[in-house]
Amino acid sequence: METNPIITVSGLTKIFDGGFAALNNVSVTVDKGEVVSIIGPSGAGKSTFLRCLNGLEERDRGQIIIDGVPLDHNRKHRLEIRTEVGMVFQSFNLFPHMKVRDNITLALRRVKKIDPPRCRAIADELLEKVGIPEKADSFPQNLSGGQQQRVAIARALAMNPKIMLFDEATSALDPEMISEVLDVMKNLATEGMTMLVVTHEMGFAREVSNRILFMDNGEIVEDCDAERFFSNPEESRSRQFLSKIL
Amino acid sequence: MIHRRHNYILDSILLVLLAGFFIWVVYRLKLGLGYTWNWKVIPQFFLRVHDGRLQMNVLTLGFLTTIRLSFWVVLFSVFIGTFAGILGSGKSVFFKLLVRTYVEFTRNTPPLVLVFIFYFFVGSQLMQVIGVEEWVRNSPLWVKDLIRVLFSTPERFPEFLSAVLTLSLYEGAYITEIVRGGLLSISKGQFEASHALGLSEADTYVFVILPQVFKNILPSLTSQAISVIKDSSIVSIISIQELTFQGMELMASTYLIFEIWITITALYFILTYTLSHLAGRLEKRLIR
Ligand SMILES: Nc1ncnc2c1ncn2[C@@H]1O[C@H](COP(=O)(O)OP(=O)(O)O)[C@@H](O)[C@H]1O
Ligand SMILES: [Mg+2]
Repeated sequence: METNPIITVSGLTKIFDGGFAALNNVSVTVDKGEVVSIIGPSGAGKSTFLRCLNGLEERDRGQIIIDGVPLDHNRKHRLEIRTEVGMVFQSFNLFPHMKVRDNITLALRRVKKIDPPRCRAIADELLEKVGIPEKADSFPQNLSGGQQQRVAIARALAMNPKIMLFDEATSALDPEMISEVLDVMKNLATEGMTMLVVTHEMGFAREVSNRILFMDNGEIVEDCDAERFFSNPEESRSRQFLSKIL
Repeated sequence: MIHRRHNYILDSILLVLLAGFFIWVVYRLKLGLGYTWNWKVIPQFFLRVHDGRLQMNVLTLGFLTTIRLSFWVVLFSVFIGTFAGILGSGKSVFFKLLVRTYVEFTRNTPPLVLVFIFYFFVGSQLMQVIGVEEWVRNSPLWVKDLIRVLFSTPERFPEFLSAVLTLSLYEGAYITEIVRGGLLSISKGQFEASHALGLSEADTYVFVILPQVFKNILPSLTSQAISVIKDSSIVSIISIQELTFQGMELMASTYLIFEIWITITALYFILTYTLSHLAGRLEKRLIR
């Protein structure tokens, strides 16, 4: 079988001040086009894992290679990885002083140096894609939570990333808005985007993702096919977690 | 409704008391000190006719100097405060310590002492080292004219520049603290989203963080700018011919103590009031 790893992580360890190991010797590879859901109890290290992948968090040990580029101290490598890995946060983190369109185009203008008309076209196209083309000239505070998160997704997509990271993208949303964001994510998965999704939405994890990483205590406890994980998990800790949540 | 009327009555009483106080002061001056008012001579200190031409006189010149001085000081001190505020909020312990030292030293020393220290040890030495005086002397006429409009007379340009530097360092310490506070109010998520998008650190500050910071700290910056206008009078002791300096000179030669002080106060008030009014309008526009 041909494997085509776009993410290779080996021996990743993250120790926070005070000696607490949030990630303990984590190794995993992700293939191009895979949709991986990362689940596990709070404090398991899921966010820390995602944040290490795009350099938001410095690791203490281990190696990370994204699409052939090692995440090391080389500034060029780091920038390449930051632009190739998009990230969506639980709290949206839109730029409140900019219109929706400017939120989307800022990095295009400043990092990719794309000219304004082209930026505008890209922004409008992406807003169409996430279903809110009419909000281009609004400010973030005038949007609902679900709309804000969709703008945040469009903003990340604008850089044309090869990998998208979602850290509890729907956790801050009112229940009636969750599905509009999940739908956008589902479409993205269908288009073949490589996605790492930290989520509490077990329905999404089961139906949309190919693969589950179950984390606990800074380790990947179980790494398997999504269907298998939900029907017949191997590890007792996974079973315990599922029994509590389902 | 009742509340409103109550306030009206209170306001009226206060106004009457205030008016009474002023009348009493004027009365005391006249009878108690035998002071005779002489307002007629004041206008000529603004504009006078010289060689058949209308010319600006000392008060106007001082007023303009105060405006120029304050303008540059506000500009530079905001630059200094922004840089120092960012450095002081960063991760580097060295820069943190450096910024703390600057802020604490500046805030805990009397401004008059600071002016002397900065002016004689920093300002004038620095001006000599970079050769400002010579540069001005050798520069073409249009540069000299530009200096006259934007700063001061070309002859006094080095002094003016070191006064600007001195005051900017002084006010910059306060603005550093304001900016630092403003930075604290920005959520970490703003930095993280910028990082994730690949924005450089400089772009993150210029396009994402600082616009939000300045919007938040505008009221504090405005009151600091008003302080700048008032504090600029300190440099009269190093012979910068701004409003206070000119006022004191006039007083020494005319003895019109009250007329001149009242006029000077009014001029400062016009400046500070205009500034706070403009800032208020800007704030309203930004809040939207
Ligand atoms: N900046 C930090 N400093 C110290 N400890 C942290 C920091 N960030 C996270 N942690 C700790 O690391 C552990 C893993 O956190 P996190 O990755 O956010 O877990 P999860 O996303 O799975 O809930 C938690 O115990 C958390 O308290
Ligand atoms: Mg988390």
